Amino acid sequence: MLFPTLAFGVFFLFVYFTAWSLDRENGRRKLFLLLASWFFYAQWDWRFVALLIGSAVLNWGVGALIARQPGAKKAWLVGLGVAANLLILGFFKYYGFFIEQAGDLLMRFGWERDLPLLQIVLPVGISFFTFQGISYVVDVHRGKTPPAKSLLDVMLLMSFFPHLVAGPIVRASDLLPQFDRTPRLTRAMATHGLLLIVWGLFKKTVIASEISVNLVDPVFFDPSAYGAIDIAAAVYGYAVQIYCDFSAYSDMAIGIAALLGYSFPRNFDQPYRASSMQSFWRRWHISLSSWLRDYLYVPLGGGRKGLISSCINVFITMVLGGLWHGAAWTFLAWGALHGGVQVIERLGRAAFGDRKVVPTVVGVLVTFHIVCLGWILFRAENFDLAMAMLQGLARIGPVTALTPLLLTLIIGGLAMHWLPPRAIEGVAERLKAAPSLTLGLLVGAAFLLIEAVRPEGVAPFIYFQF
Amino acid sequence: MNDERDPPEIPLEPFPVHRPESPFPPLYESLPPGPADPPSDWIQSADAHDLPTRENRLAALGRFAFPPAPPLDDEGVAARDRRWTSRTIVVVAAFLLVFNAVSPLNWSRQQPPSWLQGTVQQLSGVWVGQLAVFGVDMPRQGAREAWMAARDARFIGQEPAAAAGSTAAGVS
Repeated sequence: MLFPTLAFGVFFLFVYFTAWSLDRENGRRKLFLLLASWFFYAQWDWRFVALLIGSAVLNWGVGALIARQPGAKKAWLVGLGVAANLLILGFFKYYGFFIEQAGDLLMRFGWERDLPLLQIVLPVGISFFTFQGISYVVDVHRGKTPPAKSLLDVMLLMSFFPHLVAGPIVRASDLLPQFDRTPRLTRAMATHGLLLIVWGLFKKTVIASEISVNLVDPVFFDPSAYGAIDIAAAVYGYAVQIYCDFSAYSDMAIGIAALLGYSFPRNFDQPYRASSMQSFWRRWHISLSSWLRDYLYVPLGGGRKGLISSCINVFITMVLGGLWHGAAWTFLAWGALHGGVQVIERLGRAAFGDRKVVPTVVGVLVTFHIVCLGWILFRAENFDLAMAMLQGLARIGPVTALTPLLLTLIIGGLAMHWLPPRAIEGVAERLKAAPSLTLGLLVGAAFLLIEAVRPEGVAPFIYFQF
Repeated sequence: MNDERDPPEIPLEPFPVHRPESPFPPLYESLPPGPADPPSDWIQSADAHDLPTRENRLAALGRFAFPPAPPLDDEGVAARDRRWTSRTIVVVAAFLLVFNAVSPLNWSRQQPPSWLQGTVQQLSGVWVGQLAVFGVDMPRQGAREAWMAARDARFIGQEPAAAAGSTAAGVS
């Protein structure tokens, strides 16, 4: 059940009115939201609801044990909890990849074996809810959040449908306190939520879908059939597509949660106006980058042991972040590119201090093009296709794929990064005083316009596969 | 004749010449000083309108048809905001049900045959047909045609949309 579909619209209306009708009974309200979330998840594959329940029970149990045990045993328990979560993730996501690689390696040494290959279906959103489980266990251990008061809270934390399948990764310390009592819905929250849903719907179904279907997919499928301008447009187009696709999901998730009274953290903050790779990762998929920082980079040692150590740690973190996106060498290379550039930036800062060596405009342009280079690795099925895309950038040929509309959408998708940073919040602040009829008609008209121009059908969000 | 007054010839009696003691308590001025007043708690910046007042309910009833309700507490404000949000969502849903009626029809056409799919298709088919009489589908249709025209537009010297499509299909 995808957000931009009629089925989800009907589902949400039912959930919204039922949840608020239970506003005097917070326990029943949470139970209803949990059941609704399981129903939502079961639309992909009902069997994986059991995995979701099992994962929540595991993390709740480990959290409760950590809270009761004395100091020395806590470290063992937290290690056990993290290992169990990683085992679940590893089995579903990386088993096939590592078995294939092991088979190739053995064959090179002449020890060919029939390794047990399994056709494993990847549960949607497993990376997101597993990371949430890990953060809960570690935060309880660190004392950043108290253990949840009930199993229901942990289950709802991990299964809450707005963030379940593609984030943002909402931590226990952010969401559990909100579960303590029935949330309040203010006009500002509601207006902001509605505007985020409309804006996300526009980005996903109009910009991302149009660019994907008519430009990016055909060019990345066969780069040899296109000239340099089409290939460059496809690369820039993919940069816009993945931003509009993923940030749209986050926007809609935040908006839907807001209408139910819950507040999620911001996940994107105009990433393409970053003037360095470090700045880019503070603006792109913020919930993942902050997760990697707190639960991977810092435990590795962070920057406490000097420059070289911090460079190694950030490189390892980015490579593993790449691997998190999928079991493929292209994702590893993508992570290594981002990690390598951050290492160079750190060395540069160590050499030149805080002096501004590169003008901001140049920094933005260079960073954006390095990110685009990374997107080629990210999008291409394999290294051969990625190399074909890069070679195609030097090929003179007619422009066949790029059209005025697609060019306008690409420019618009990039230009939205130079809107005022909190534009939607500003508009929401003005609209919240409007009568419900006025706001309803405005939002309805916006929905109608989007419905009129969107392509038939909806492609799944890119980050569903992660 | 001299300056001395003549002695009174008529006595003052029966009027009293001696003032008797008053049976009443002594006057305020003659009381001994009491304890000093406590220091003033007057606040210069205070506004008299800020002070709590108690309005006589009967007086209020006299001015209004019924007494004004007390101001909303937090719970009341939250409930009012929830109602406002719910009304907004209902307006959006009703608006789309009228002006985007074709959406349920399209959805039902994409579903595998079932009782629900068939029912939705028939109901939405009738609904779309009835609304088309009033021309409410025209805004959506107009926006779609404008978008399709923009999609078909090409740069100068570029192949037209249909030809480009067939070339791309042939290549891929």
